[in-house]
Amino acid sequence: MRNILQEIKNAVRSRSIHVSYVDVGSCNGCDIEVLACLAPRYDIEQYGIYVHNNPREADVLLVIGSVTPQWVDKLRDIWDKIPEPKVAVAIGNCPISGCVYARRGTLTSPPVEKYIPIAASVPGCPPRPTEILSAILSVAPLIFKDYEERKP
Amino acid sequence: MRSIIYYVREFLRPEWIRKFFTAKTAPLETPSYFKGYPTLTGNKCTACFSCMMICPAPGGIAVLRKKDGWEPEVYPGHCIRCGLCVEACPEGVLSSGRILDVTAHDGTAFWSWYHLEVDDNICMRCGNCCVSCPVNRQIDPQLAGSGTSSSDEVIMRIEGGRVQILHEEKCTGCKTCETNCPNSAIRVARMVEGVQIPEAET
Ligand code: SF4
Ligand code: SF4
Ligand code: SF4
Ligand code: SF4
Repeated sequence: MRNILQEIKNAVRSRSIHVSYVDVGSCNGCDIEVLACLAPRYDIEQYGIYVHNNPREADVLLVIGSVTPQWVDKLRDIWDKIPEPKVAVAIGNCPISGCVYARRGTLTSPPVEKYIPIAASVPGCPPRPTEILSAILSVAPLIFKDYEERKP
Repeated sequence: MRSIIYYVREFLRPEWIRKFFTAKTAPLETPSYFKGYPTLTGNKCTACFSCMMICPAPGGIAVLRKKDGWEPEVYPGHCIRCGLCVEACPEGVLSSGRILDVTAHDGTAFWSWYHLEVDDNICMRCGNCCVSCPVNRQIDPQLAGSGTSSSDEVIMRIEGGRVQILHEEKCTGCKTCETNCPNSAIRVARMVEGVQIPEAET
């Protein structure tokens, strides 16, 4: 019985991934690529991925941008607001390495991993919408499948 | 009534139902001309470091010493896929998208040199730059501690109470002079110019 319930949960979850994105100091290049995922050409919703701007409704947090000082505590807050099970995906070079901002004299303090756990990262400046899409689709089942079973 | 039945029947076609639940936009393939991370073509790298010098992304590319010779390595997460290294490499070691085809077709290339500039307002004429420059030392081992030299072949020397740059084109861009200048008066800048070889010459 429990297993059937779990199967149903898995099936539903894999078709209903809620995504919220946060820009912690980017050049907007990656934001535009995330936006392009919503457009009919890539159409993220046909995979059952919905984009919200509310972390409390989200399963997946897309983090964009190298972290500026103002975002250090707020990013943590946003991450804490997301209900379990949750996962963060770093989009673009910025959250990974700081990209072109990783120079002396800039105020950014990448990588984003210092502040919240990152499950997957999509390198690129900016990455292609298909790369973002496939990253979300490949990371989501790993995190959400049999979530209750795995809980200690 | 009949029309409603037709209507319902139309929607009960298995093909329609299957499409309704599973249809996706055409699988999105990466087009062949997509400028991805540069890949190796197999040509031999001569370790000229043109690729590293032109790379605008910090830590994007490094030329590493492998068992048999040198090899550039591109780091995703740093590389912004601009393709400049592909264009800058004189040996065609790297390839990305159709950049190599386009440059071969158009006869375009990068031409680069180092530009030396001394700010006379903060330079105190110590001659450290002239002395520390490895190219200078090679050309004129007798180069005096104050940076004066009797050779006209050196890159720069102290002459008439100020730094005279004589042979900018010999500079290798090592920036030793920059690090040895106590006042940050000397600046080494890499200049890059895109050139197109006229059709007659190709
Ligand atoms: S990775 Fe590149 S495109 Fe994306 S936010 Fe950073 S600088 Fe902009
Ligand atoms: S493609 Fe551009 S960013 Fe990437 S390694 Fe080459 S020069 Fe650097
Ligand atoms: S530019 Fe080409 S030949 Fe020169 S170091 Fe880079 S890969 Fe090697
Ligand atoms: S950069 Fe190096 S080679 Fe060029 S002038 Fe300075 S010390 Fe000499």
